[in-house]
Amino acid sequence: MDVADAILAARARRAYETGRLGSAASRALPLLPLACLPILCCPDPARSIACGVALVAVVTCCLWRGEALRRGVRPGLIAGGVPLMIPVVAQATGHLCGIGRCLIDPTICIVAGVAGGIALGVFAPRPREAHGIPLVTASLIAGLTGSVGCWMYGLVGVAGMVVGLLAGAAPVLAVRRARG
Amino acid sequence: MERVPSPELQRLMERLADGDRSAFHPVFELLWPPLRRFAARHLGPGEADDIAQEALLRVFRRAAEFDPSRSALAWALGIAAYEIRTARRKRQRRREEAAPAGTLATARDQKPTPEETAMQDDMESMLRESLGALRPEDAETLRLYSRGERAHVAAATFRKRVERALTRLRAAWGTDGRR
Repeated sequence: MDVADAILAARARRAYETGRLGSAASRALPLLPLACLPILCCPDPARSIACGVALVAVVTCCLWRGEALRRGVRPGLIAGGVPLMIPVVAQATGHLCGIGRCLIDPTICIVAGVAGGIALGVFAPRPREAHGIPLVTASLIAGLTGSVGCWMYGLVGVAGMVVGLLAGAAPVLAVRRARG
Repeated sequence: MERVPSPELQRLMERLADGDRSAFHPVFELLWPPLRRFAARHLGPGEADDIAQEALLRVFRRAAEFDPSRSALAWALGIAAYEIRTARRKRQRRREEAAPAGTLATARDQKPTPEETAMQDDMESMLRESLGALRPEDAETLRLYSRGERAHVAAATFRKRVERALTRLRAAWGTDGRR
């Protein structure tokens, strides 16, 4: 490869990376309105929105890098959508513990987390695929997506959701692994 | 002409679209020569390389959107064809805007020699003759075009009319048997 071709190859590489980044950002940006859902039903949505912004950034990064990281995005979003929506719907349909915190809040997050965990176990790539990178990515994205909804109930809600995710996903993944 | 191994390019392009950076250089080496040849076949040598480069950069910029069900080479050449069309259109527009004014300026600046004047007169009388053989609308279009003016129609329509009139003029010029 001569010098002119090497310079052209470097320009082409930059074009490739910027093209990928633009494409990844345009596919991740529609998640932003979803991440802003807590504004509608939560008096203090700052942390939820921060989680939403982090989710958009992580999804953009995964789609930009591609390969194993990209393969975890869709299952992660599907699995995380459950613990995102259940608390939002619960809040929006009138379950409001106006004074302090009530015991139902963390329970909602645990139940939503278990449902999301089962979805994660079903849809996530096989644990052995690409050294488990797609599974880790899917879990991270599911956790972040779920946090957008569960931060409305504070750290207890997020912790409950994470425990639920693990509890729901572990048996399904174990069964899938046993079946080969 | 060396042939691009299409199945290999297809496989590499799919990997590149998925984000496999190790496929970048092989794809570059497989795509650059055919894009260059393709542009050279449709454009002048000075312009061809620039347009081939633009096409190559666009191919890589859009690599993430590549659909594996399509042929990689056909997809890349499609992008190059679009770039070539755009370059031709730009060139045509530049010529339309600059040529009449430039021609007049050159004519004013340089005084022709007697031989040049005689040749020019000769050419003009032949041109008049050929214009006379054209349909009146074509002759009027070319007269307007030569003065840098435009009929009261859209630019694209006028361009088409000029192209058509020039084709007929060329045909009249060529079948005459004198030139």
